[in-house]
Amino acid sequence: MRHFSFLKFIYCFSIAFLIAFSKIALGGDAEAGKIRYAQNCGNCHGPAGMGLASYPKISGKEIPYIIERLKTYRSGKKIGSNSALMIMMAKTLTDEEIANLAEYLKDAKYEN
Amino acid sequence: MIKFCKVFPFITSVCMLFGIVFHANAAEHAGGMNVPSIKSDAVMTGLENPWDMAFLPDGTMFFTEKCKGLSVRTSSGSVNKLYGMKDTKGYNAAGKDLFCDGQAGMLGVVADRDFDKNRTLYVYSTSTKYHGSGCKTNFEKCDGNIVMRFKVSSDLKKVSDRTDIVKDIQYKPFESNQPFGGPGAHNGGRLRIGPGGYLWVAGGDRHRGVCPQDGKLLCGKVLRIDGDGNAHPDNNPPAGFDARIYTYGHRNVQGIDFRPSDGRAFTAEHGPWHNDEITGLVNGGNAGWDPAEKRGGRSACPDKYCGYEPNQMDGMDPAVRAAYTPMSDTRFDDLMPAAWNNNGFSQGTGSAAFLKGSNWGVYEGRLAVGIMGIAFGDTPAGSRIDLIGLSTDGLGINGIVRMPLGFTKRFRGLVMGPDNALYASTDEGEIYKISASTK
Ligand code: HEC
Repeated sequence: MRHFSFLKFIYCFSIAFLIAFSKIALGGDAEAGKIRYAQNCGNCHGPAGMGLASYPKISGKEIPYIIERLKTYRSGKKIGSNSALMIMMAKTLTDEEIANLAEYLKDAKYEN
Repeated sequence: MIKFCKVFPFITSVCMLFGIVFHANAAEHAGGMNVPSIKSDAVMTGLENPWDMAFLPDGTMFFTEKCKGLSVRTSSGSVNKLYGMKDTKGYNAAGKDLFCDGQAGMLGVVADRDFDKNRTLYVYSTSTKYHGSGCKTNFEKCDGNIVMRFKVSSDLKKVSDRTDIVKDIQYKPFESNQPFGGPGAHNGGRLRIGPGGYLWVAGGDRHRGVCPQDGKLLCGKVLRIDGDGNAHPDNNPPAGFDARIYTYGHRNVQGIDFRPSDGRAFTAEHGPWHNDEITGLVNGGNAGWDPAEKRGGRSACPDKYCGYEPNQMDGMDPAVRAAYTPMSDTRFDDLMPAAWNNNGFSQGTGSAAFLKGSNWGVYEGRLAVGIMGIAFGDTPAGSRIDLIGLSTDGLGINGIVRMPLGFTKRFRGLVMGPDNALYASTDEGEIYKISASTK
């Protein structure tokens, strides 16, 4: 009996842990996204994803949209006519980085 | 000065004798070097891709926004929207033929030397008006960049009498198999008035391999013309070339200005992931860019353009690229060697202006160069304004320092204002006033 509730405890704990963990993984961490963005994305897309010159605006977009775009580029597939540049940039992104970037970009705003 | 030097030790001794503490300022610490203090203020914010500015002596500033049009900020600070592009709102008038795509759109602006008498302004833009049947593929002439002349009303509220004085600068109409392959690539676009009041038009190769070295096409050229679009009588391009051509063999010239000491034109151009270049121009000279396939030891290239080869879809050592398709190919006898090549990197040199006025101290006469920062491959982004001292013969530099601004932006357009301040537009949407003082 005791033995059983211990297993039950482990089981519940694991589920709770998995849910909590996957929530982080799926939801992304905006702070981490901001740091990753600052590494090189801003050189083309500008501060806070505002879009510069012929580099598209990427802030204020839905999370699934950004995730889908980044995964498409990462797989080497073209979207627009300047995809080659973006494919190079996306090649090294991990799933976690993509989730973090999407979370950050959703509410990123350029202020001057 | 001599007198002061003689008297100075005497004054110092007297001061010491009487125990007076001597305060030296920073400039004196630097061994008498007249280093200016520099400060910057955003005079306009929230613009959309401001590209170029032109000043009148009273501080009136015309400016272009790449996808919107031409506006003016009066000396009192109010803004009038003068001439818009297709589908823009709020402009006093608009050109339905003017459009933007990728790097192309409304770019350079400059006021005539005699503006106070003739109220004439010149503007560079992309236009559909002269496409004719020449834009069906990327491998045709495709006239799509023009220079317009306007009259500006005395109240600065409108422009009139549009005359297209250059109608045949080439434009890239379609996507191509290049890493930055969208339509509208490499238009050059800077306009400046040079010695004698002539108009200089800086061009780009529009991603077409044959452009820069083809003397009949205006792509990849720097033009020197009068206010009606006619060639300067002393232009000296090779036989058979269009007479409006001052220099050829360019990739994408977005910076051009004239050295105050001798009037010589210097260009700043973007390199193809290697070698951004500053070049002292020579009448009729060749800047040495030839991205055509099957030349200079090259084989066939994607869409007949070798500009990013070999290995155009990936990062690689810029020096290897430079060896394959050089910015300044020494194969050409009439090559104008670059004065500066950004240490072999390409970080995007957007514009250039010589610093004028004694307020710039030791930097007076240096070329300010705006660099936009792309960080391709392992190249550091490096958005900045460099202050470059050019050698008298224009073949090298004798000093370079970064403008101490305390921030980085993509500096697209630089021009001197009548107040001897440097004005800089950024892709982020601002126009900065950068002032220097040696006091
Ligand atoms: C070298 C310049 C460059 C860099 C650096 C860069 N991008 Fe891009 N990005 C582009 C270009 C160009 C496009 C448009 C590509 C096309 O035509 O398909 C693009 C497209 C995108 C898009 C899709 C936009 C849309 O709505 O279709 C997203 C999202 C994006 N980039 C995110 C990023 C992130 C995140 C980073 C940093 C990891 C980054 N980019 C770094 C050039 C760049």
